[in-house]
Amino acid sequence: MMNDPELQEIFTDPAHQEVLDMLNASRPAAPPLDPHFRSYLRAKLMTEAQRTLGPRASRSWFPFRFTPNALAPAMAAVAAGFIVVLGVEIYLHNQTSSTGSLVAVDTRQINNKTDIATVEPIKIPFSGPVDKAAVEASVQIEPATSVTKQWDGNTLVIVPDHPLASNTTYTVTLKPKSAAPNTNPGNPTVTPKPTVAPTPVVVHFTTTPAPVTQALPPSFKSSTVNWRHDDRLASPSTILNGSWTPAGQLLVTRPAGQPGPGTATSPSPSASPAGSGTTDVWLMTAKGTPLRDLAQGATLPSAAPTGGLFASWSLSWSNQASLQIRDLYGNLVSTVATVDGVPDRPAVWVGADRVAYVDHGTLRIAGLHTPVSIKTTRVDHGSLAGSPDGQFLAAQSSDGSMVIDLATGASRTRLPQGATGFAWSTKGDLAFLVPRDGVTDLYLLSDVRWVRIASSSAGQTWSDLNWAPDAASLLMASTSTGSSGSTSSLLLINRDGSNPTGFGAPQQAYVSPQWSPGGDLVLFVRRDDATGATAFWTATAVPSASDAAEQQALAEVNAFMQARMHGDRTAAQAELDDAGRAAYQAGSLSLLSPAGTTFDRYYPVTVQLTASNPTRFLVGIRIFVAKAGVETSFFEEQLTLVQHDQKYLIDAASASATMPVGHGPTVVSVQTTQTGSREQVRVRFDADLNPSTVSNDTIKVKDHQGNDVSEQVSFDADNHLATLNVGLRPGTYQLVVTTGITDINGVAVAQEYDAPLVISR
Amino acid sequence: MPEFEDRELVELAKENPEAFGALYDRYFPQIYRFAYSRVRDQSLAEDVTSEVFFKALKNIKRYTYSGHPFSSWLYQITLNAVADHYRGAAGKEVELEEGASVPSGEPTVVDEVVRRDRSRRVWAAIDQLPPQQRVAMVLKFAEDRKIEEIAHIMKKSSGAVKLLLHRGVERLRRELPPLEAELGLP
Repeated sequence: MMNDPELQEIFTDPAHQEVLDMLNASRPAAPPLDPHFRSYLRAKLMTEAQRTLGPRASRSWFPFRFTPNALAPAMAAVAAGFIVVLGVEIYLHNQTSSTGSLVAVDTRQINNKTDIATVEPIKIPFSGPVDKAAVEASVQIEPATSVTKQWDGNTLVIVPDHPLASNTTYTVTLKPKSAAPNTNPGNPTVTPKPTVAPTPVVVHFTTTPAPVTQALPPSFKSSTVNWRHDDRLASPSTILNGSWTPAGQLLVTRPAGQPGPGTATSPSPSASPAGSGTTDVWLMTAKGTPLRDLAQGATLPSAAPTGGLFASWSLSWSNQASLQIRDLYGNLVSTVATVDGVPDRPAVWVGADRVAYVDHGTLRIAGLHTPVSIKTTRVDHGSLAGSPDGQFLAAQSSDGSMVIDLATGASRTRLPQGATGFAWSTKGDLAFLVPRDGVTDLYLLSDVRWVRIASSSAGQTWSDLNWAPDAASLLMASTSTGSSGSTSSLLLINRDGSNPTGFGAPQQAYVSPQWSPGGDLVLFVRRDDATGATAFWTATAVPSASDAAEQQALAEVNAFMQARMHGDRTAAQAELDDAGRAAYQAGSLSLLSPAGTTFDRYYPVTVQLTASNPTRFLVGIRIFVAKAGVETSFFEEQLTLVQHDQKYLIDAASASATMPVGHGPTVVSVQTTQTGSREQVRVRFDADLNPSTVSNDTIKVKDHQGNDVSEQVSFDADNHLATLNVGLRPGTYQLVVTTGITDINGVAVAQEYDAPLVISR
Repeated sequence: MPEFEDRELVELAKENPEAFGALYDRYFPQIYRFAYSRVRDQSLAEDVTSEVFFKALKNIKRYTYSGHPFSSWLYQITLNAVADHYRGAAGKEVELEEGASVPSGEPTVVDEVVRRDRSRRVWAAIDQLPPQQRVAMVLKFAEDRKIEEIAHIMKKSSGAVKLLLHRGVERLRRELPPLEAELGLP
């Protein structure tokens, strides 16, 4: 009978009684439920909650009663003595509760984060011992990424062999397995078996956005570069010297025995050929995270301009040093020279296959493949620098300073007396310094003619020349000597000697600046405020945009996309002109995301200037579509922005087909740059590719008639970067990336990628 | 569970991810079940449930206790999410309304479920009710919500909910064969 007073009030007719009795006596059948869905959604929510809610409060609320099924493992872990927090996946119920060997994996540091640096290791801590080999073997990463797996205690450290791609969502999957106990003293006949996690642990994260591939690259002229802040790389005395690799990582010398990302690879004193007290060469991120010990007992590394190699001196007990060439995984490629004693300077690369070094005052050049002989030249402690194309070597010899043409062997260009501090730009210009009468002159050698472009003030000494990435300016140390001693600061001066500008924090002594290849950081040495000891630091440098119009156009694209992502149709339409509105009303494009989905994020893939009067830009944007908070697909829109009065509006738009995420390598940026009369088309991918699949057959530039006009394709595996060199007349072309390209796992590009290329010069 | 626990947990969840997780653990079953009752499709029910809890997380700091259980808020979000879904699938909601009357020529509810037991048939029949009646019936008889709470969830008056329940039960009474007839009794 009906016991609910509410129902009794409604249903007074006895005819309803049977139905009500049935309803009260039964419940609908339980709906079908994927057993993984609940935990999957919970993990997603917890990651989002960790990100959006405030800092974790105290656990004083824990005594509340919870739904037992979901929190039972967590409570059990607490009981077992582990600190368990959400975002931690409990994956092992072990052998007996009395052992307390319940193990958790903590994914909070990385899961669903959207600002993961491209050069940092991925760290996944476990709360207890696991079968490390089994865990390592289970690791899978998408997009395909070659990695080295290490352990720091119970923390799995996944070190990407190359920097990760920007703007890319990675998925790391692993299947933990507990470590088998050694013995069971209480019952030796019982040996519990290792337990495998019931479901894989899946971690998603997105890397930081890349600087927009601008139509007009930023300028590093002294007036446009802004210093932001300094970050100390490591404690004083833990880095003895350092230099950049072409991929933006650091090669550093560290005292032997320094910790790495994983203790498994940390050198023990006995592992080093020279024993304790020697040094090792490490690969380190730009943030100071040591990645791997590349050469034990080695010092003074220098990276090859291309090819992923470096040279370093390896010291032996017999007071000899070997000049060794290794790849960036530490594999020995060649020992090219052996000298007596301990060298005091790194070898100098001259191109990608020769190194210059000094053997007891004599300049020598070693080829990786063929021997090189030059006229005997005494260098002693003078400056040495090789041109990036490998043709020239600037040397400060006892006979005077000169530029040696290695193509001819004998031809030499004499430089001013006392010329030193050589620095070659990426464009082949040589800058050097000549000290005289208490001042320093700065010279530039270009096309075999040298000219003095600037001089320091009286009492000021310049040193440590280093070119900006675009060769627009030079950074150097400027040392002033006064009654209270000497102080050093950094000075940025234009290529023509104009506008010398201070760089760096005031009141700090900077020396030995080195621009990173991307120009966003400067490696330097200065005194540590706290300890007074000398340490390596990086300074963040931000070149101002050289093209305000482009910045304005991109700002409108951002406003357009923000409105779309927030479902604000009115605000989005405000960024369209009449033609743009017509494009989105035609039916093939959707201003807002389809029902049940959201536009989750976007990033520009290409930015091209297509006309200067009126100013028009073609901006390719990749838009990610999420369903229930999970990115499931993406597509690309080509937006044409035209200047109307003082504002850019979207005048035309087209969209690519929608692609599911996680299906093979994809193009993440396309940049066209003019080099002389030719164009360089740089196509960057998100995955480590099989280099043999990157060729003229798989990456092409086609003209408007469909003819293939590309000539040469080179591939930089370290940066997932294919570069096409083409001679193009002004016009519209098409970049075609075919499905013939595969990643290192053999997975092909899922769908041919086409993008317009506009040559407007 | 005592009411104060619910409220206090919600307050904690505004700052504490773990407390929000506890809320999720507490309410996932009924929200998923309710979502499924509305969409009758596992994948859609998953989508709706995800949306409900993500929206709840996004807005938890703005939630204020209004005298109704926290679950009422979640049910409201669920209804909105389902409505949003059907708004996106053009005409589907209308179709459901029109489908409330069993089309002629189609098997009747009774015909369709004749082989099932009687209690299951009554729930199958509820699935055929117009959406508003179905929501009220499910919340009342499957989720054991009070009429005032149902009214809050559906943003209707208590009287309107009572009317929906009355019409729903009356319709079931008309469409289900009398027990006597099924038992072959005269």
